[in-house]
Amino acid sequence: MTRTTRTTPARGRARRLVPAAALALALGAGLAACGDEEPTGSADTASAATEQAGSVTIGDPWVRATVGAEDTSMSAAFMTLDNDGDEDVTLVGASTEVAGMVEIHEMSMVDGAMAMQAVSDGLVVEAGRGKVLEPGGYHVMLMDLQGELAPGDEVELTLEFSDGSEQGLTAPVKEFTEEEGHYHEPGTGEHDH
Amino acid sequence: MSPAPRVSRRRLLGYVGSTGVGAAAGAGAVLAVGAEDAAPASTAPAPAVPGRTIEPWGAHQPGVAAPQAAVSELVALDLLPGVDRDALGRLMRLWTGDVEALAAGRGAPGDPAPWLSQPASDLTITVGVGPGACRPGLFGAGPPGFGDVPPMRHDRLQQRWSGGDLVVLVAGRDGTTVAHAVRRLVADAAPFARARWRQVGSWNPTDPSGRPQTGRNLFGQVDGSGNPQPGTPLFDATVWVDEGRWAGGSSLVVRRIRMDLDTWDELTRDEQERSVGRALADGAPLTGGPELADLDLAARSQGRLVVPADAHARRAHPSLNGGRRMFRKGANYTREVETEQGVEVESGLVFLAFQADLADQFVPVQQALDESDQLNEWTTAIGSASFAVLPGFEQGSWLGEQLLA
Ligand SMILES: [Cu+2]
Repeated sequence: MTRTTRTTPARGRARRLVPAAALALALGAGLAACGDEEPTGSADTASAATEQAGSVTIGDPWVRATVGAEDTSMSAAFMTLDNDGDEDVTLVGASTEVAGMVEIHEMSMVDGAMAMQAVSDGLVVEAGRGKVLEPGGYHVMLMDLQGELAPGDEVELTLEFSDGSEQGLTAPVKEFTEEEGHYHEPGTGEHDH
Repeated sequence: MSPAPRVSRRRLLGYVGSTGVGAAAGAGAVLAVGAEDAAPASTAPAPAVPGRTIEPWGAHQPGVAAPQAAVSELVALDLLPGVDRDALGRLMRLWTGDVEALAAGRGAPGDPAPWLSQPASDLTITVGVGPGACRPGLFGAGPPGFGDVPPMRHDRLQQRWSGGDLVVLVAGRDGTTVAHAVRRLVADAAPFARARWRQVGSWNPTDPSGRPQTGRNLFGQVDGSGNPQPGTPLFDATVWVDEGRWAGGSSLVVRRIRMDLDTWDELTRDEQERSVGRALADGAPLTGGPELADLDLAARSQGRLVVPADAHARRAHPSLNGGRRMFRKGANYTREVETEQGVEVESGLVFLAFQADLADQFVPVQQALDESDQLNEWTTAIGSASFAVLPGFEQGSWLGEQLLA
């Protein structure tokens, strides 16, 4: 049970898999210090990037359910992004059939209150580092939802990166109650707070 | 409907949930440190890491053959009405993500309390499917010989501890980590299934110097000496389904066995040892040799069998059961039970038996024991359930994919 190589690619797409690396992330309380991430503990991870497959590995994806929420027109997707390559990669966009509009957002403290805003230049995942998308921090904002997202559903999402690569993923919908209001703030039709 | 592509699975063992690290590292502190440097300052030297991080991938679910863990918790669930094959696929993919994260010591995706997950927890999560879910439209037929365990004469089964459409067996070195994993798996399964019973027990798998040992049940018996050893052909032949849709899987019988410690304690040590056929001090056969030596079933002393005709170890011995055997684990439990006389303490063993073919291995051996076994005097099965253990999954795949996709 201590295998060090992985050879099974994700179904239906070429993926490069790398040896285990220690990666510590420091996000102050998960809120204010979005974007502070630690470099990997070992330097042997960024050796053999394959350009066409993209160098970002997606992990632990999930989407917040809207069932029972006040505003069921919005939700958010969360995950981890690990850049195993030599070059910085930027998450520039995303799309899914369940939402009419998708943006990359961050949550931050504005005038003493948490507010979220679009990350206009995209979310940079530096070479050899990772980013965590989580409640209270970065997220993939799903707006203009086409229907209810119930726990147990699955959402298919496509992420677009600055190197031209795209990655599809399937994220389970999970119930999550913490800070519910932040993702269901009644907007003006558009998501402009 | 063909399932969508899965994301690659991360395998960054030191990668803990950021919310968990945040408190220790402090806002804005960007230091080029490894995970261990981010831990709170302490002057005490760090002891050796006490446990392992066990990867969840492979041909078999790793929890079956993994060394017995200190804590084992099982939860059986019943499928909700209307759950079909597609829904089962969603549940299994959901659980796969949870299993991968929890095994690595991260919180499950969406975990509101990721700090309760830790690496090096010896954590394994094993998923199985009950007879009710092994039918067309769900998982399809189970592995050869799989089904309900037939009633035994000595059984006093309670519905409270029996049956179930699904089971999750979580084992680890720490009860808090294990309980948290169970809770996440049950919570995430809520759209599909509801918990039916939950049992937990403990085991001491190491001696005082930290070396692996067989461990003891609450009678004080060294319990499990006759097990086939993982990694041997005998183990593989005993435990794993070797072909067909369930290849790489197994079957699991969970028996909740109440033990009457009070009447057991009334026996002399000689009586206790002869009831099983093994010495209490080290579990060695009464016919001599070390713990793992085979019993000499023919040995006599002063004309009588050293291992009595109805001793447990004789009745269960493969040579008297057509070579049939199983791989067993256990977890000791103690529980308070409300009675009309007040609160009483019930003790026992959550008995786990893994075998490739339930009908051909577990059932005949259990029937032989039901027919005659001195231990029946002090033990009573009060719960029984059987589950087909899903084959293992590789990174990028998911639990049960070969059965549901
Ligand atoms: Cu947002």
